[in-house]
Amino acid sequence: MADNNPSVDSVVIERTLDAPVDLIWQMWTDPQHFKAWYGPDGATIPVAKMDVRVGGTRLVCMQMETPDGTMQMWFTGEYREIVENERLVYTESMSDENGNVRSPSDMGMPEGHPETTEIIVELDDVSGRTKMVMTHAGVPGDSPGAAGWNMALDKLAAHVEAQSG
Amino acid sequence: MTATIDEDRLSETFAALANSTRRAILARLLEGEANVNELADPFDLTLPAISKHIKVLERAGLIARGQRAQYRPCTLDPTPLEEISTWAEQYRPVWEARFDRMGSYLEQLQPQRKADEHDG
Repeated sequence: MADNNPSVDSVVIERTLDAPVDLIWQMWTDPQHFKAWYGPDGATIPVAKMDVRVGGTRLVCMQMETPDGTMQMWFTGEYREIVENERLVYTESMSDENGNVRSPSDMGMPEGHPETTEIIVELDDVSGRTKMVMTHAGVPGDSPGAAGWNMALDKLAAHVEAQSG
Repeated sequence: MTATIDEDRLSETFAALANSTRRAILARLLEGEANVNELADPFDLTLPAISKHIKVLERAGLIARGQRAQYRPCTLDPTPLEEISTWAEQYRPVWEARFDRMGSYLEQLQPQRKADEHDG
């Protein structure tokens, strides 16, 4: 059921990429590859530390040249689920360069921005190519775990659809 | 499509949802309307404590309450949750651009593969 109901507070993107699953897995888990595409446009990724094991932390720096000088944004998070070449789940929060979480409003983000978000990457081999589904969802601060939260939202999403359908 | 987002409303929605008791109350209301006593039943909480949670949800517009004096059943109003979806949608163009770059990068990494596909 969860697969067919887009979560209310998430963005879900599906792409089919012309590469085998193990290479797409490396796009997400090998810092060298990750730095090559993560962007955004006009930005570089000078730092990408990835301790890819459940409970392991990540720290990513995005750097942009602006008229006011070099601007850096740091993001930290934790790996929640790792099934090689199949499924990767990690959290993301804005942080300082040491991985200390900073609140989004301190960082100039709009008020409604959740402190922690979760990224889920699902990979499927399709005759040597890879179907990739990426889900980026908000996780409220005191959530005991993303699972319960997502489950509740899936239920609510189904309800919203039933109401508006 | 222009997405307009009421930031105050969004923070209120997130704040209301950032509590496991309140999420459980919403989950209960998915099954149908209930009054405060019925909502308090599964929790080890006093009625005033439950009432407080219900007020937070009511302020966030997530539940509506009936007017019958004694009973005042609560019902779920999912409208604010639809607004959260607009919040998350702001990330879509960022990710789309990233995956475009991933596609180009993969082509650089696998020139042979591109050649193989040329007649396809």
